[in-house]
Amino acid sequence: MARGTRQDDVEARFIEAHHRLFGPGLNGEPGFLHNLRQKAIGRFGSMGFPSKKDEAWKYTSLRGILRTPLAVAPDCTAPPPSVRAIHGLDAHIGVFVNGRLHAGLSVLASLPAGVTIAGLGDAPPALVAAHLARQADFRGHAFVALNTAFLSDGAFVHVPDGTVLDKPVHLIHVISGRAPTLAQPRTLVIAGTGAQVNLIDTISADLAAPSLVNSVTEVFVAAGARVARFEVQDPAAHVSLVTALSAYQLQDSHFQNNSFTFGGQVVRNNIAMLPDAAGCETLLHGLFIARGRAHVDNHTLVDHAKPDCYSAENYRGILDDRATGVFNGKVLVRQDAQRINAYQSNKSIVLSNTARMFAKPELEIYADDVKCSHGATTGQLDAEALFYLRARGLTMPQARTLMLQAFARDIVDKVPIEPLRSVLDERIAAILAR
Amino acid sequence: MARPVPAKLVRLMNTDTQYLHEVAASDYEHGWVADLVSDTIPKGLDEDVIRLIASKKRDPDWMLENRLRAFRYWKSLEAADQRPDWAHLTIPDIDFQSISYYSAPGNKPKYESLDEVDPEVLATFERLGIPLQEQKLLAGVAVDAVIDSVSVATSFKDELAEHGIIFCSFSEAVEKHPALVRKYMGSVVPYTDNFYAALNTAVFSDGSFCYIPPGVRCPMELSTYFRINEAGTGQFERTLIVADKGSYVSYLEGCTAPMRDDNQLHAAVVEIIAHEDAEVKYSTIQNWYPGDQAGTGGVFNFVTKRGICQGDRAKISWTQLETGSSITWKYPSVILKGDDTKGEFYSVAFTKAKQQADTGTKMLHLGRNTASTIISKGISAGRSNNSYRGLVRINKNADNARNFSQCDSMLLGDRCGAHTFPYLETSNPTAQVEHEATTSKVGEDQIFYCKQRGISEQDAIKLIVSGFCQEILAQLPMEFAVEARKLLAIELEGSVG
Repeated sequence: MARGTRQDDVEARFIEAHHRLFGPGLNGEPGFLHNLRQKAIGRFGSMGFPSKKDEAWKYTSLRGILRTPLAVAPDCTAPPPSVRAIHGLDAHIGVFVNGRLHAGLSVLASLPAGVTIAGLGDAPPALVAAHLARQADFRGHAFVALNTAFLSDGAFVHVPDGTVLDKPVHLIHVISGRAPTLAQPRTLVIAGTGAQVNLIDTISADLAAPSLVNSVTEVFVAAGARVARFEVQDPAAHVSLVTALSAYQLQDSHFQNNSFTFGGQVVRNNIAMLPDAAGCETLLHGLFIARGRAHVDNHTLVDHAKPDCYSAENYRGILDDRATGVFNGKVLVRQDAQRINAYQSNKSIVLSNTARMFAKPELEIYADDVKCSHGATTGQLDAEALFYLRARGLTMPQARTLMLQAFARDIVDKVPIEPLRSVLDERIAAILAR
Repeated sequence: MARPVPAKLVRLMNTDTQYLHEVAASDYEHGWVADLVSDTIPKGLDEDVIRLIASKKRDPDWMLENRLRAFRYWKSLEAADQRPDWAHLTIPDIDFQSISYYSAPGNKPKYESLDEVDPEVLATFERLGIPLQEQKLLAGVAVDAVIDSVSVATSFKDELAEHGIIFCSFSEAVEKHPALVRKYMGSVVPYTDNFYAALNTAVFSDGSFCYIPPGVRCPMELSTYFRINEAGTGQFERTLIVADKGSYVSYLEGCTAPMRDDNQLHAAVVEIIAHEDAEVKYSTIQNWYPGDQAGTGGVFNFVTKRGICQGDRAKISWTQLETGSSITWKYPSVILKGDDTKGEFYSVAFTKAKQQADTGTKMLHLGRNTASTIISKGISAGRSNNSYRGLVRINKNADNARNFSQCDSMLLGDRCGAHTFPYLETSNPTAQVEHEATTSKVGEDQIFYCKQRGISEQDAIKLIVSGFCQEILAQLPMEFAVEARKLLAIELEGSVG
């Protein structure tokens, strides 16, 4: 790929930083991690950051933030972080400050035996070696490669075979820094055969200057396991966010991801699902509300590699002011992956004439005995419904807010954790009332 | 014309019915080479070739300039390795220097009547089931037949002339109506539009030109049959249709090509301009040679088709039945510039054997109260890949724009692919954009239901597929719909697997 000098400079900065931090020796770390980092930085160097010429990045650019010199090492001089737990939520809480587990802030006392919530460095090396960087493809994605190249610690969750966690696990990534920062949280979740876990993922960012958070989450869902993940993205308006979520599913497993995006400058979520055995169920739900100059891009892939699976995808967006929304969802059904039932829906409401929505729902199908469909709509609030509400005494803003809340509610209602749902409801109401 | 099914294919298809692979193995019905005397220039492409084409066409200077500008632009793209590669297609490395860019049938033009036309030409049409004479007398269709690149017969001119309608070959239009051609050519598809549009502008040899004066409703369907005939020549036609205020025209384009082994390049450009209150309906049956079972030979069809609803309340409607070509790269589009304009796209794309199709449309909403409808049906069989790729863009000022898109795919076999790549770009809050797509196969329950009622399996499949496409075929003008149905049935017999 031909790239301009300026762009090369951007990549060179990260490559140099990598050499400074990890260049020469192993520093007593496992050899495989060192090798992984070297491979990843090599791939990053040869790929470079994607540009708008790449089909997958047609509508989204991170040039602005990438041109800012970003500090790649955590800023340890920052004051102790404040962590917001979810009110009323009884959960196992793992707090990771700049990538490292903070025992004092975490609540792990009631963890059942066998379940691990730890830093990657303290996790069983065999498990880490078997799963780390196996799901998230650093060979094909520059941002995953960048995260992998700087990998030194992160969140690790292991729910062993047959264990059902009653309480949800809440992972809080605390990121702080005063200078422009590149923070790269990493999470590895392993659910053993028949295990069940609800996972809440949030970021508490205290970043004074324009910064980029580039997170990678890998989830391994063994046969018969059920994993539900809830991610709330609400960074400040000067923070950009790139996330990669990769899940690998085995026989008869269930995985669902629910993502809620309320803030940030440029937010790009890359979600890649690989149900790699029969009987898998994959659900992807998303809600984003973008205002101001926010840019929210959800990029999903469900790669049906094996027959007899079900997937459903439901994304909703509300766009106001000068915000831009992007939804690019792809369902891929490979050859011989017969009897796939895949559904995808994307609905967006555009509220201002300077907001924009780009939808690209794709189907790529190589097997004949399948039921695949997608629907996408973009529009405004129904004038008749608004009139109906106003005829009953609601003001225009009240009527609008009510309808938008109802629109968002369809996704919020998929969250089975009551305290989380309340927090989401309150947050949505607050944003819409503004 | 059934050929034995290769053992490998039978093995791959053993889950399917006998009928399905019989069908998959049948050959191209319209494959032969007519023995015409041709005037062909040597292979290769440089400025001298462009000048040679221009001199053969007796181009005026401005046209030569235009060709050279386009050629230089094309050369810069070629040098920068800017061939379009974004489609879901595997395009072989085309050697543009090994193609002859001009071919005209011998015993050249200017016939007073059909009797003077080379009997071989007439026989060719006869075999295609397009008897010019009969059509002239019975069907009331004016036919401007293009064999390879030069117009050899034009009929119904007098009747059209009475209405002030100009319908002639592109060369004739350049000669007789240079002002119109200069005004509109390249106004919808400029040579800088894309690689193949640039190539076409540089080397196009002929095509059709049509002008409907204000307030005139064209009394008959205008029709051009294109046909590639000379081995090793690409065909680069250019069609320009101008519908002046309040006029109406329905234009038909259909094509079949003879069987041959060399890949043939076809890069046409079609431009439509619809002024205030005008309506243009453009229907295509595309049945170029698709290549054999192994995927060799076959036409590369890289076409740029675009219309602009220039004035308020104008309407442009594209209907296409795509069954041929080894590679189809085609996106008939509408620019909805005027207020209250309408754009429509109805398409059936059928691929079999190793055919690849990446086709769809672009609806660009610029004016207020604009509406577009997209209905696309893709049917894939054999080892083919069939993609819908469509863009709906609602610009900032396009208040109250409406779009409805529906893209359904049907798979007839487990070694083919059906893909949908819609792009929906909305920048106006009053817009309403809806898109839905489904992918499925012919249901066993549907076949079972038909069989219960005494309908054979193959008739059942034909029935179901024809029902699947009904919405589109109903859009075709009557004469064309008959041919379309016939073609689809033959294709099905010859292709499902």
